[in-house]
Amino acid sequence: MPKLIKERVSTPERPVEERTKDFGEVNLGYTFELAVKEAERCLQCPENYAPCIKGCPVHINIPGFIAKIKEGDIESALRIIWNDNTLPAITGRVCPQEDQCEGACVVGKVGQAVNIGKLERFVADYARKHGIEEELLCEFEEKCSGALGNVAVVGAGPAGLTCAGELAKMGYSVTIYEALHKPGGVLIYGIPEFRLPKEILNHELAKLNRLGVRILTDHVVGKTVTIEELLEEYDAVFIGTGAGTPKLLNIPGILLDRIYSANEFLTRINLMKAYAFPNYDTPIAIGKRVVVIGAGNTAMDAARSALRLGAEVIIAYRRGEEDVSAREEEVVHAKEEGVKFMYFVQPVKFLGENGKVKAVRFEKMEPLEEKDHKGKRKIRPTGEYVTVEADTVIIAIGLEPNKIISDGTGLKTNPDGTLVVDENLMTSIPGVFAGGDAIRGEATVILAMGDGKRAAKAIDEYIRTKMSS
Amino acid sequence: MGYLITAKEDLSPIDYFVEVEAPHVASAWKPGQFVVFILHEKGERVPMSVYKAENGKIGMFIRKLGKTSLQLYYEYNPGDELWSFVGPLGKPIKLKHYGRVAFVSDAVCGQAENYATLKAMREKGNYTISVQTFEDKERVYPMRFLAKEVADEYYLTTLDGSVGIKGHYLDVVTELIKKDKVDVIFAGGKLGSLAKLAELTKPYGIPTYATVRQIMVDGTGMCGSCRVLYDGKVKFACRDGPVFDAHKIDWVDAIRRNSERFKEQEKLAKERYLEYLRTKGVI
Repeated sequence: MPKLIKERVSTPERPVEERTKDFGEVNLGYTFELAVKEAERCLQCPENYAPCIKGCPVHINIPGFIAKIKEGDIESALRIIWNDNTLPAITGRVCPQEDQCEGACVVGKVGQAVNIGKLERFVADYARKHGIEEELLCEFEEKCSGALGNVAVVGAGPAGLTCAGELAKMGYSVTIYEALHKPGGVLIYGIPEFRLPKEILNHELAKLNRLGVRILTDHVVGKTVTIEELLEEYDAVFIGTGAGTPKLLNIPGILLDRIYSANEFLTRINLMKAYAFPNYDTPIAIGKRVVVIGAGNTAMDAARSALRLGAEVIIAYRRGEEDVSAREEEVVHAKEEGVKFMYFVQPVKFLGENGKVKAVRFEKMEPLEEKDHKGKRKIRPTGEYVTVEADTVIIAIGLEPNKIISDGTGLKTNPDGTLVVDENLMTSIPGVFAGGDAIRGEATVILAMGDGKRAAKAIDEYIRTKMSS
Repeated sequence: MGYLITAKEDLSPIDYFVEVEAPHVASAWKPGQFVVFILHEKGERVPMSVYKAENGKIGMFIRKLGKTSLQLYYEYNPGDELWSFVGPLGKPIKLKHYGRVAFVSDAVCGQAENYATLKAMREKGNYTISVQTFEDKERVYPMRFLAKEVADEYYLTTLDGSVGIKGHYLDVVTELIKKDKVDVIFAGGKLGSLAKLAELTKPYGIPTYATVRQIMVDGTGMCGSCRVLYDGKVKFACRDGPVFDAHKIDWVDAIRRNSERFKEQEKLAKERYLEYLRTKGVI
């Protein structure tokens, strides 16, 4: 029985004053020595018991890969992770580990949980930098004949990229249709570089390219081509189009200038690089005092991006501090960087001057004992109001599925706009599968990847059955 | 993968025509829909109306207005490629037999839509009426780019009266709806004129549809930059439009948002680019 070390080996981070001046990555990740040291804290729960494995949406053999880090055998560690997750450099950075693997970690009951996320990231980063991935990729490449059949994947985000990669490895020829001019979905337009550097994504895309996956950008399925047309050309279709439409507040003043959806604000900055305007052509207009409405990961990303553009930033949330849904690390980073938080305030009106927003009027809320279906405390209005000055507002209260894909296709949808799927992730149209936020509303990168992988298996089975009948 | 420019020529001292090879867009495009292009890796996404979609090519009318449209004019020629070209986006207008269909326009994109819409409407057996307004004689397009060839009834107006009827399409419409039955009016061009047109036709109960140009990013409903108030509800011009019932649009906000939101940045980018052209001796 190894000795229990309660405290985590901390990961190096760039100092606040340096990192808030640019969009470079904040957390620098473990070095080899630090990773081995952190790996030694793992109690090596047996695979059939390990709570961390159960806590992981794709059930990675976590004690297994951590044991290999301890031995210094990073290639084996990577093989173990790749059994369940081919994008560990991404999930290691963006998964809400405290609600998943780390939340279940036995060490966490008495001290700080093993830093599984950062160890996963370490394995991926180390393997990439030291050419270890290369050997594994070559093994896969041999299997990628593309001979088993043709599959179209709609959307090059986490679900689509995973599904495409899995199908390619099984021997299918895969074409991804992407509406934007660059692949990646939320990984490129949504998550800022200080959390997920673009080179990580580009590396993953290059891997898919090696496996023979073709990506057609500038193709909006539902507009440029229809699902019916895809079904004529392909044996099966996977829809991973995400939850693409921002929810906006239905309150007076929503059309005032300098009120952005978080999607618009982040897309301008991340995808279009508006922070480098006028060297890049896409502009962003931002004032000195920004109010971000919402407290999820997107709200943190928007707040910290606005801060890096030189503004003072306040996050306003209708619930309390303990209800904040963003990753713990992002909240910590946001606070360190100077983002202010207001709790129990619900926006009721945007006030403007000359067409531009100048303040947000909030109603104060109070918590109730009763919990809602998500396990969060219900809130109720108090009848008291507070007005907060703001020359820019970013609304980050969530997304809903974009109807472009389902409109006029005959795809059945739920009342919230998500696609109806069966237990094999097949939609109401035979041969058309779906996963990720397109069926979940708004969830996480790892759940989308899990769906992509499950759908790949179901598609394989579907095509095999079709061929043999 | 780039998208080949196959033709480019002046329409007037302020507007030009560009044709781009984009079979994936051309085969799916229908009147009312638009495209989005990007010049180069550092470029912005530009939504644009379509004049013609034929033989795998998309033709567009563009005004030399901001940095991107100037750069496309001065630095890109047939044989060069655009970095990105996507579409068709937005909802097509309903093509059917209405009877007497008019299209009125007073600016570059509207002129393209005028031709494209009436061509399709005529194929549906409609009697087509086109009104095209230009600033003056010098800015009137060459004949083959006008909607005259697809119109059963055609009116050309100039604001200064140097050619055609003196006045604006609003003046022509005022007379037209007094004397003749018009079953439906489509319109494109300056938002301010569209707002006035909506006011003008409302008392007559003539269905009036306008292309509501707004600032966009993705053009697929992902960002909400182009939101407008329609019948009191928020709609996205890119996904729910861009053609809307003109009587239900909140024009005041739509006009302001389209011109004011990035005014300072647009000015800066344009001045910077003009300065670049001057140092290069291009202008």
